[in-house]
Amino acid sequence: MNQPGSINNGASDIASVLVVVQASFSLVAGLSALPFAIVEPGFRVLAVVTILMAAAMFWLARNLRRGRRWAWRWLVTLEVLSLAMTAVLSLLPIGSIRGPVPLLVNLVIPLSVLVLLAVASSNRPSRPRAAELT
Amino acid sequence: MGAYVALIGRGYVGVMYDIATDHASALIAALITPVFGFGFVLGLRFLASRGITWAVRVMQAYGATPSITKLAAALMLLSGGLHLALVPGHAGITGVLFIVDGLGFIGLGIAAFFTSWWRRPAVLWLVATIVAYIVWVVAGWETPDQVGIACKLIELVALGLLMRLANPTRRSWPRRAWRATAFPLMACVTTLGIWVGGLAHPDALHAHAGALLQPVADVATPEQQVAAARLLADTRANIARYQDPAAAIAAGFKPGPVSSADPLRHFQNAANANVILDPNRPQALVYAQTTHGLQLIGAMFQMARAGQWGPDPGGPLTQWHQHEGICFSPFGFEFTFETPFWTCPVGSTSITTPPMLHVWIIDNGKNGPFAADLDKTVQRQLTGRS
Repeated sequence: MNQPGSINNGASDIASVLVVVQASFSLVAGLSALPFAIVEPGFRVLAVVTILMAAAMFWLARNLRRGRRWAWRWLVTLEVLSLAMTAVLSLLPIGSIRGPVPLLVNLVIPLSVLVLLAVASSNRPSRPRAAELT
Repeated sequence: MGAYVALIGRGYVGVMYDIATDHASALIAALITPVFGFGFVLGLRFLASRGITWAVRVMQAYGATPSITKLAAALMLLSGGLHLALVPGHAGITGVLFIVDGLGFIGLGIAAFFTSWWRRPAVLWLVATIVAYIVWVVAGWETPDQVGIACKLIELVALGLLMRLANPTRRSWPRRAWRATAFPLMACVTTLGIWVGGLAHPDALHAHAGALLQPVADVATPEQQVAAARLLADTRANIARYQDPAAAIAAGFKPGPVSSADPLRHFQNAANANVILDPNRPQALVYAQTTHGLQLIGAMFQMARAGQWGPDPGGPLTQWHQHEGICFSPFGFEFTFETPFWTCPVGSTSITTPPMLHVWIIDNGKNGPFAADLDKTVQRQLTGRS
C-alpha cells in the first residue's frame, strides 16, 4: 500500500530487483567468510556485519517496491557510498577492479540502481497543493 | 582478447577467473548486441513513421510492453547473442547446446513483446542454463572465466526481473516464503557452484585459489637449472646473517603482523622496495613460528607493481606468483577469498599483490625451493600447524 510521499513505478521495481541481486551477492560474501572466521577473529565481525547488511538490503528492496520513501533514501545513501568506495579503490594501485565482472558488479549495477532511483523519484506523482485541495 | 586488454589497460598479466581465449569473441558480441538492438528499434520506428503496417504493429507491441519486461527481454537477447558468439570456440555437444540456448533466448526475448505465455518458459530456460553451466564447471568440462560469470550475472538479473513479474494467484505462506527465498538461493548456488568448479579444476597457472603463476616454458634448460641453483645458494648465503630476528630488525626489516591463521611471519624492508631480485637485498624474510621461537626459512623477492613479472633466471624453476582475488581485513593479517562475483565482506578490501618469488632455504619437500607455498608437511613439522 502506497503512503503519501511514496514512490512506485517500473523504475523502482527494476531497482528493487537489482538491489536483491546485490544483497544476494553480499549474503554469499558474508557466508563464505564464516569458515575463515573460525581462525580469524576480525572476520567473525565482518561476516556477521555483511550478513546483516544483506538482510537489510533485502528489506530495503521490499520496501522500495512498496513505495516507501525512507527505503528510497537509504538505498540512495548506500549506493552512493558503494560507488564512492569503488572509485577510491579503483584509484589505489591494489588491483581491486580488474575485468568485466567487477566492473558490472561494483560499478554498473550501483550506477544503474542510482539512475533508476532518480527516475522513480522524478516519476512520482506530485502532491496536490493545499490551494488545489480547497 | 584485445577488447579485454583494452578494457583493463596497461600491465595486464592475467587475472583470477581470467578470460578464456575462445571466449574473447563474446566480449565483442556484448558490445555489438546492444548497439544492434538500439539500431533495430530506431529502424522500426522509422518504418512505422512511414506507415508500414507490420512495423506499426511491432512498435505498438513494443510501446505497450512494461519497462521491466523490456529489460528482461533485452538481457535474454544479450545472453542469446553471447551464447551464439561462443559457438565457434566450442566443439561437440557444448557447441550444439550453445546454439540451442542462444536461439532459445532470442526466441523468448522476442516472444516477450508479442505473447502472454513467454514468462514461464523463460524462467525455466534461464534456470536450466544457469544449472547447466554449474554442472559443466563442477564436472570440469568448462573453466569458469569472466565471460561465463558475466553471462550468469546477466541471466541472474533477467531471472530476478521475471520472478518480479510473476503475479501469484495463491498467497499461502509457503508460496510467499518460496518467492522470497528462491532468487537469493539461486544466486548463492550459482556462486558456490562456480567456486567449487574453479577450486576443483584450477588451470595450469593457478597454484591455488588466490595465487596466479607467471607464464613460463614447460621445461628448464641446463643454463636455467644452473641459474636457479645459483640463486638458491646466493640467497641462502646472504640471508644467513638474519637467523636471529633481532639482526633483521636492526637491518631495517619490520616484522609483519602475527596471524592466528598463518604460522609464517614476513619481515619486510621498505628500503628494498625497488630492488629487483637481489639475493643480498630481498624485500622480505620469512620466519616460521616454531615452539623454539622464530626460525628463518626463506626470503621473498617482490616487484614494485602488480602485474610486473620479475626476471626468472631459472625459467619454470623460478616462477613468480601474485596473489589476487583476496579480501584483506582491516583488523590485521587476515583474509578470505573474493567470490566469483567479485564481492568481499563489508569492510574488507580486494587486493592484488605485486608478483613475488619465494626462495626457501630449508628443504621444502616436494614443492621445491622456489614454490609459492611452503610444503604442508614441512610446515607441520616446523610449526605443528598446517
